[in-house]
Amino acid sequence: MKHKFLTCAAVVAVMFGLSPAMGQTTLRVKPPGDVKVLDPTIASDSIARNFGYMIYDTLFAVDEKLGIKPQMVESWTTSQDGKVWTFTLRAGLSFSDGQPVTSEDVIVSLKRWSAVDSMGQQLNAHGAAWAKTDDRTFTLTLSEPWGFVLDTLGKPGAPVPFILPARLLTNLAAGQSVPEQIGSGPFVFKKDEWVPGSKLVFVKNSRYQPRAEPASGLAGGKTAKVDRVEWLIIPDQQTALDALKKGELDIDEDIPTDLIPVAKSGAGITVSRVDTIGVAQQIRLNSLQPPFDQPKVRQAALLATDTSEYLGAMASGDSTLATICKSFYICSSPYVTESGFPSFNLDKAKQLLKESGYDGTPVVILDAAENAQIHPASLVAEQQLKTAGFKVQVQAMDWATVVSRRTSKEPVSKGGWSIFISGPGGLDMMLPINHLGLRSNCEKAWFGWPCDESIENMRAAFGDTDDQAQRRSLAEKIQLRALETVPYIPLMVAYQFRATRPEISGLLTPPAPVYWNVAKK
Amino acid sequence: MLTFVVRRLLTTVPVVAFVAFVVFSILHLAPGNPAEIIAGDQATPEQIAAIHQALGLDQPFFLRFVQWFWQVLNGDLGQSIFSRLPVTTLIAQRLEPTLALMTLTLVLSIVVAIPTGVAAAAFQGRWLDRAVMAMAVAGFSVPVFVIGYLLAWIFSIKLNWFPVQGYTPLSAGLGPCLANLVLPACALSGVYTALLARMTRTALIETLSQDYIRTARAKGLAEIPILFRHALKNAAIPIVTVIGIGIALLLGGAVVTETVFAIPGIGRLIVDAILRRDYPVIQGVILLISLSYVLINLGIDLLYTFIDPRVRY
Repeated sequence: MKHKFLTCAAVVAVMFGLSPAMGQTTLRVKPPGDVKVLDPTIASDSIARNFGYMIYDTLFAVDEKLGIKPQMVESWTTSQDGKVWTFTLRAGLSFSDGQPVTSEDVIVSLKRWSAVDSMGQQLNAHGAAWAKTDDRTFTLTLSEPWGFVLDTLGKPGAPVPFILPARLLTNLAAGQSVPEQIGSGPFVFKKDEWVPGSKLVFVKNSRYQPRAEPASGLAGGKTAKVDRVEWLIIPDQQTALDALKKGELDIDEDIPTDLIPVAKSGAGITVSRVDTIGVAQQIRLNSLQPPFDQPKVRQAALLATDTSEYLGAMASGDSTLATICKSFYICSSPYVTESGFPSFNLDKAKQLLKESGYDGTPVVILDAAENAQIHPASLVAEQQLKTAGFKVQVQAMDWATVVSRRTSKEPVSKGGWSIFISGPGGLDMMLPINHLGLRSNCEKAWFGWPCDESIENMRAAFGDTDDQAQRRSLAEKIQLRALETVPYIPLMVAYQFRATRPEISGLLTPPAPVYWNVAKK
Repeated sequence: MLTFVVRRLLTTVPVVAFVAFVVFSILHLAPGNPAEIIAGDQATPEQIAAIHQALGLDQPFFLRFVQWFWQVLNGDLGQSIFSRLPVTTLIAQRLEPTLALMTLTLVLSIVVAIPTGVAAAAFQGRWLDRAVMAMAVAGFSVPVFVIGYLLAWIFSIKLNWFPVQGYTPLSAGLGPCLANLVLPACALSGVYTALLARMTRTALIETLSQDYIRTARAKGLAEIPILFRHALKNAAIPIVTVIGIGIALLLGGAVVTETVFAIPGIGRLIVDAILRRDYPVIQGVILLISLSYVLINLGIDLLYTFIDPRVRY
């Protein structure tokens, strides 16, 4: 009888999924998007970068004040002429498969990364030569001193210089992604539990040795306080919010601005900024093709842009959700300046357009119609430019098509474009040296391909000086020149918001969302 | 019969080959490049070209098609451009949630729709018939996502009976699996219940006007056996056809329902793949769907012979 009862109980337990409590803490997070490629060096998007921070580590990292701090590095020295840098790794570092992290891993990883990253390329342009001294010590020799070596090695913007095992990288062709995901970071990726488009699972890396300093930003002790982190890809925002309220989710990253009041209505739910930097919403102009191949036409478009209307369309007019900075630098940049930045002036815009001899060539706006911010912004751009006297065509498409169309250098009559609206991460809009939007090196510049030797010379001079006053002066001069060339039109800095359940504590606010130091009651 | 089945199975090959070629061509012509999507915002044209080459996308169209079709003939649907996982693995991961949702939706639809349709036909023109038809119109008209949100709000948020989202595999237990599927299946079954109820009613009304039904009534047979044993069996062919269409449609994925309830099914797999231009996944899933259509149609045709012995092939 007892045996039958136990058998029945076991059957019921299996049927209804009742298993003994595992005693594990699981943090369930809805990330801002799905990870497309499990290689944060090949994929330079922020989601791949966030994935990288879970499982990989870096030599240096930024703290909460964006100061550069050592991470995998124990100590480093610089030669008197500033050309030779010697780094020593912390003792006992190992990858999640148990293999030690060596100088060779660092050198191979950084060589691969520097081929694709703009800061890495600048490091290479200064004659970077890496050499192994022993398993824990390596040197970087430059042909000339450069003031951004540590900023480059600790950069938090994608692609991040993560350290991977050299054995996984040596036979990879350019553009080929890494076959296994083995890192020396605080978590281990469970590939066997991965359901692309639905779920990513990470477990605590038992071999990880956190630094002794408290966690700050992306630096300090990366102590995993939960056993398991699940990234749940929930495509519908309302469903994600319902799951959060019900406790099926602990953190909902990047909730849309219109749902913030709904999120706040949940018992104990906290809504906060994901980071303090935000994304730089902007109108990118095609400087290569008419009508925006004429600087005066671009200046007219800048003067015709009333950013307050964009704030209304993209952030419900709420200045806590977005900030307007009249600057090419993101609001939190140490170099932010409003110097020379004009105010909205429709009459002057019309006058400039007339002076430019604008012949009515249509302005083609690539409108990512499925995007809740880009689509309304495209419609505002259409209206404002029409009011200023432009002929405008808005072409609706999905984001993948925008990504493809914006690479076209053809005239608008042959499938080209004039404008697309985008919000690159603020980290790429902070310093002149790696500024995505201000880069004016023609073919090598970001889409729109602005070409201006003077800006490029000043950007190079910025990198070559250590003097803060001189850097500030150069940053201002670059802005003044950019107001003449107008490579793009800054709109606003939009912030991303996360909603968190009351059981969660210890969330950090670095430039990338990370889940070490996070505890769950 | 066997000759018919073999002949039908053989006709599947050119159908699937044609579908494969059309899908491959359309994807080739469509704008968008996965290499640009992988590379991201910061990438230079050289980096994009390197990824393009690494993925083999620089090969001529016909060479790529022939290579891919040869793989398919060998049972290999290729690898996802993004996840680098075999397409068969991705489909296998998504097949269970889709099949589970499809089964529960169809069971719910059949259990509700057939008795309701029969009742509507039996009481044709009376209040019950009108009520059933009004509900059928509502079932057709209210979008699935509206029903989904309402059900989630009432039964998950307010009553706390079911989870809001996600899917629990059957291996974790029937209870948790069903708990995740009840609301999406209810939301999705609305339209199928409406369709099936209307079809049952129409088919039955026509059958009930036949001479043999009048004869059955004349010899004093009760109404229930007349409806279920004599009329329904003879009205079954259009009903079975609609059920078959439902299976085929649901296999293709109930994208909206899967999105609202975050179920990792085939529908979401193909939508994500289209948005990223993940060509091997799109091709693999469309092949699977077209093959399913052919096989389901074959199954329905064979079922006709059991329902109606007069049908011969």
